Amino acid sequence: MLELVGVRHRYDGRVVLDIERFAVAPGAGVAIVGPNGSGKSTLLRLLALLERPSEGEVRLGGVVVAGGKAARAGAGVRRRITLVEQRPVLLRGTVRENLEFGLQVRGVRRIEVNRRVESTAAQLGISPLLQRRRHELSDGEVQRVAVARALAVEPDSSADRAAAQTLYRALAEERARRPLAVCLASHQLEDAYRWADDVRALAEGRLSPVTPENLFRVELPASGSGGDLKHVCVGPIEIAATTDKTGPAILAVPPTDIFVSREPLASSARNVFVGRVTRLAHQRPGAVHVTADVGVELVAVVTEEAARDLGLTPGGPVVFSFKASAVRVF
Amino acid sequence: MRRAVALLFSGDAEVYGIALLTLKIGLIATVLACGLGIPVGFVLATRPFWGRRAALTVVNTALAFPTVVVGLLLYGVLSRRGPLGGLEWLYTWQAIVVGDVLLALPIAAALAAAAVQGVDPRIRRTAETLGAGRWRTAWTVAREARFALAAVITTAFGHVVAEIGSAMTVGGNIRGQTRTLTTAVALYTSQGDFGLALALGLILLLLALLVNVALQALQGRGHA
Repeated sequence: MLELVGVRHRYDGRVVLDIERFAVAPGAGVAIVGPNGSGKSTLLRLLALLERPSEGEVRLGGVVVAGGKAARAGAGVRRRITLVEQRPVLLRGTVRENLEFGLQVRGVRRIEVNRRVESTAAQLGISPLLQRRRHELSDGEVQRVAVARALAVEPDSSADRAAAQTLYRALAEERARRPLAVCLASHQLEDAYRWADDVRALAEGRLSPVTPENLFRVELPASGSGGDLKHVCVGPIEIAATTDKTGPAILAVPPTDIFVSREPLASSARNVFVGRVTRLAHQRPGAVHVTADVGVELVAVVTEEAARDLGLTPGGPVVFSFKASAVRVF
Repeated sequence: MRRAVALLFSGDAEVYGIALLTLKIGLIATVLACGLGIPVGFVLATRPFWGRRAALTVVNTALAFPTVVVGLLLYGVLSRRGPLGGLEWLYTWQAIVVGDVLLALPIAAALAAAAVQGVDPRIRRTAETLGAGRWRTAWTVAREARFALAAVITTAFGHVVAEIGSAMTVGGNIRGQTRTLTTAVALYTSQGDFGLALALGLILLLLALLVNVALQALQGRGHA
């Protein structure tokens, strides 16, 4: 179990990450999604023990390994975790030497080094590249080599910024073979769902209290005559929300709080949007994720039965309704 | 000029003695200065510690330290009544080495710090996340900065063999004992023996060329 506990991390006095608790269980596949600048990279760097949190602790198996009174994490602890950067770099030398690096620092025997380098290279389809040097590789190849380099050392957990299909497949294969926790950051929600068993949203350095769909960065207007009911601009549409906050905020519409219908319903819902279905996805048995373009993209979750009864089809008309009080603002 | 070239190839014992002494002092001082200065530069560039910025300023200021002043201070320390007078190093080649090390140390530290700061920070992070310890990480970063670090060594050597102020003050330009190429050139020039001075000057250039060629050969080829 790799955890961040009570972490507030600052750069030049500015809080960039504020997390009460974030845990990656052994063997878990966690995806962190969030817009650029939401703190994904910082979170990964803290998990990878590359930085000490300004406040709070990083724990590995319950032991504080960074932050608090812990000394700088030793190589022994760091060897259980590795990180693949979004734009990785290769070290000087051949691809093979890059793959050997982590094994050599662990004192792995020569025969075993060769065996693991060959098998990891085969797994990621980079065997023909082993003798190449970094200037002879494309960006995509560099990424695959970086993932192979990280997997070759067989860490307990890997924090990852990579986003190509071969990588997902290789990570899935590796996780099937042995317990490996992977924490991956992406700004692509679909990638995250395809691959992870746990998706967590990050916005402005905080974990979102709701699921990562339907998150919008908004500017809340000052309170008007309508009390706490506010009409908030989200792209070309206006969403009614009840909040006493003003100024910049994150607005979230929980997908399970959206009523899906073919025709506008007569109801108390302040938010009624007419649009078209862009995607239907079966994420979990019995549940269907309905993505619709209503000016912005919104996702609703309905039961399979409801989806069938409504006759939802991609491209078909759909109406999304939800109450102003269902909208979360934080 | 003709006399200078003739002297170069005549195998004059005194000329070669001076050249060898200069090479010996230069190599020892460079090895010591870089051996101490490059690690200091690494620490200055990579370890965040209290007063690091002040330390960098001190090192950068020391770059501009006049050689004669270093010689003067060292003279005070090594003179019979100085704190290290017991060594009896004043007017010996060892004293020149000490002076040269003091001069080249800030150069090695400042340039090594700049060289290390020039390395992509991802290299360091990559080595660490692959499980490298402190030394292996430093070595990995050093490999990336090898051209800049080689320049540190040649610059230090160049400075050491070319400086005259300290060598003159603490060495004393004693014939056959502490006469280096630069002090000899100064002496023969003042005596009006331009040919000999020029010959020694050419040898000095030749030494610098040799050290550079040797370092380049050590670095090997290849660009990645």
